[in-house]
Amino acid sequence: MTAEDTVAGVTARAVDGDGRISITLQVNGREQRIQVRPHHTLLEVLRNELGLTGPREGCGVGMCGACTVLVDGRPVSGCLLPAALAEGHELTTIEGLEGPNGELHPIQQAFVDHTGFQCSYCTPGFILTSKALLAEQPDASRDEARAYLAGNLCRCGSYVKILDSVMDAKERLKG
Amino acid sequence: MPEPLRLFQPTSIEEAVAVLAELGDDAKVVAGATALTLLYRQRLIAPGALVSIGRIPGLKTIEVVDGELRLGALVSHREVELSPVVRESIPVVADAFGKVANVRVRNAATVGGVMAESDYASDPPAVFVALDAVVDVQGSNGKRSIPASAFFVAFYETALEHDEIVIGVRVPVPPAGTGAVYHKFVTRSSEDRPCVGVAGVVRLHADGTVADLRVAVGAAAETPQRFWDTEALAIGKPLDADLIAQVADAYADQVDTLDDMRGSAWYRTEMVRVWVRRAIESAAAAAAPAR
Repeated sequence: MTAEDTVAGVTARAVDGDGRISITLQVNGREQRIQVRPHHTLLEVLRNELGLTGPREGCGVGMCGACTVLVDGRPVSGCLLPAALAEGHELTTIEGLEGPNGELHPIQQAFVDHTGFQCSYCTPGFILTSKALLAEQPDASRDEARAYLAGNLCRCGSYVKILDSVMDAKERLKG
Repeated sequence: MPEPLRLFQPTSIEEAVAVLAELGDDAKVVAGATALTLLYRQRLIAPGALVSIGRIPGLKTIEVVDGELRLGALVSHREVELSPVVRESIPVVADAFGKVANVRVRNAATVGGVMAESDYASDPPAVFVALDAVVDVQGSNGKRSIPASAFFVAFYETALEHDEIVIGVRVPVPPAGTGAVYHKFVTRSSEDRPCVGVAGVVRLHADGTVADLRVAVGAAAETPQRFWDTEALAIGKPLDADLIAQVADAYADQVDTLDDMRGSAWYRTEMVRVWVRRAIESAAAAAAPAR
């Protein structure tokens, strides 16, 4: 660690010789302590430091949703959030959805049963966003789902099957 | 490789302002981080330090006090969109924030951020300008309030001094019977930024003449465009098709429209003409509910 960096009485986060700070993230229910540079995005850190490759880089500018991460249950673009600012929040990636014995989450199973994907690059983002949608609006209509998911892009064009999956997942979650 | 960033996470506005005063332009304030991360990754900015204000308490209020809707700087777009307080007091504010980008951006981007960024293609600024909102800021010399119409200066440029932080926005609640709308016109996809966004506010006397008319055009020029002289021409006159066309034409004439991938300057001028007319019509319809 280098000397303390204090400006106007406020101390900057301590950096190592590589300019990295030590942060603690809550990812999929586990506490993870890692070294990151302050400009590293949550997406980069999840993939490169934690090996969680569910969040993917698509556009890199917050428009496509392939990098969606749930932050305290709310979908956020991992490509637009510095990892250091995600401290203190509950983070969920697609890897955090499966049950204790590896069984798929009902939304995942609905996507499988309806083939709500083709190449699947966008799928983790769609499933996580659907999870937030159905938590917020358990009775979401197809149009409401369409509006909520408008910021998730599928270049294969599987939208019809994706909406089929979400509407079925809604019923499954109600039991 | 860029110089390592220094990260400051002050826990009071005073601390944040002190760091900014000392570091000057080398430090950037960050809240939801959506705009900052984009600008940083595109190498449009290269700050040496980030001052994260996310740990400062007291900046997440949404309340109506003394006839004003008060939004704290750290309130997210999504919180504005869903807030019952906002929806009941000034629904057009909730509507405009709900039209920004996608749900992910709205979960992260903040009220203070969209003001301080001064991106010409954001939705909320035009609404704040039309509603005569006031931006509260705090710096080394204390607090001051800046009318939204004077806050946005140019592309990515505001009236903020380098050591000042937006701490909130106050919006006067319009008198009962006022109609207020925001029309977002997109040319590519539903979640795109606007080609033109128009906020319209109309209040009518019982005889159908105009008591109040305000129009602000966003995304068409460097800053939200409002023409008070044009608005004043309408006061006291019957709000008929001729008067609305006159205001729409005057706005089309006066907005110095810009070119970008969402529309040419010529096209934007014509869309200003169309959407100012529609905004006034729908604000008038909202102002005069069916009897």
